[in-house]
Amino acid sequence: MIAYPMTRPSRLSLDRFARQAGLHPQLVEKFVALGLLDAERDATGALWFRPAALVTVARVQRLRAGLSLNYAAIGLVLDLLNRIDELEAASRRTGSRTWT
Amino acid sequence: MARDYYEVLGISRDASADEIQQAYRKLARRHHPDVNKNPEAEETFKEVNEAYQVLKDPETRRRYDRFGRNFRQIPEGYEETVGAGRGSGGRGFGRAGARGSGGPYRSEWQFQDSGIDLEELLGGMFGTRGPGGPIPGADQEAELTLTVEDAYRGGRRTITLAGPSGPRNYEVNIPPGVTDGQRIRLAGQGGRARGDAATGDLYLVVRIAPHPRYRMRGRDIYIDLALTPWEAALGASIPVQTPGGTGTVRVPTGSSTGRRLRLRGQGMPNSSGPPGDLHAEVKVMVPPRLSERERELFEELANVSTFDPRRPRQ
Repeated sequence: MIAYPMTRPSRLSLDRFARQAGLHPQLVEKFVALGLLDAERDATGALWFRPAALVTVARVQRLRAGLSLNYAAIGLVLDLLNRIDELEAASRRTGSRTWT
Repeated sequence: MARDYYEVLGISRDASADEIQQAYRKLARRHHPDVNKNPEAEETFKEVNEAYQVLKDPETRRRYDRFGRNFRQIPEGYEETVGAGRGSGGRGFGRAGARGSGGPYRSEWQFQDSGIDLEELLGGMFGTRGPGGPIPGADQEAELTLTVEDAYRGGRRTITLAGPSGPRNYEVNIPPGVTDGQRIRLAGQGGRARGDAATGDLYLVVRIAPHPRYRMRGRDIYIDLALTPWEAALGASIPVQTPGGTGTVRVPTGSSTGRRLRLRGQGMPNSSGPPGDLHAEVKVMVPPRLSERERELFEELANVSTFDPRRPRQ
């Protein structure tokens, strides 16, 4: 008999996601409406989240609590941090191509 | 831990309230764990918040100036009491106690009074405001610089990073053949969480230090192979040093400068695929000064040879 390992569900419902993030579902909905969090909306209008979005939620909370940013500013900061990550990764790739 | 709050914020003791806020805002932005992935940044961020919480309020600042870091243990009315020489001490611990409802005040208080209450200490990390729920910790990144030889061999290595209570040591298992830019994940060793949320991960980003002889391109290693003119012309077997030991390069006859000789599989090992190659690039060297006899022989060669490297080849 073959044992199959448990895999994490590839997408989470709003309630499940909110529970894992430790937030009220309405706050999660607000995050989506403010464009802080990516979610898919299915035919019935329900929201579905990728598990990786939990990282984003944590980051939103840290930025709000630690720097007193409002949600508009957090949206900007998230975009900029993501862009910096991409640029750093790109420069790392080209950097490793040159002689070390 | 016991740095002066003014020093933490980098301001003088007579700084104005505006200067305090300015210094705090700048430092908080720079050291926030989501902006700065350096493990040390989290500690600094916490320190900066703690300092600001005390210095932003003129009353606590005044008490800090007078009593130092332990000012919270000194009853509020202390000065007046002493001044009046009477033991009224009306308010006692009242104010400090009332403030201990959460946030950094409480953590500091408990830390000094009854040993470290970790939960509270972590709770005070994001000091300024915000709801009291748990917040997962941020991921951190630190660089791990390895020599080419260390990266080739892999193995255990102890690294030291700044941590919440002094330096932390980690035993890291480095896979043989790790390449520049690869990340080693230490699960749960990153930024601390608030409440019972998950701790962040710590990523060690591998950097291969420049080497005087080896140049790295991915898993391939390039070296210069210095040859005498006669070795290059006649061919030779040359022993070369590789990170894994000694290898032998067979130089074919008539190898000019720039020719690349490949030692297949002598580059960086690879746990999930073929290892890299070692490329030896021929570099013909001539003696800087010739002996009498060498000069004779070269002159003879010059007279006899019809070789002209500048003539276009067919």
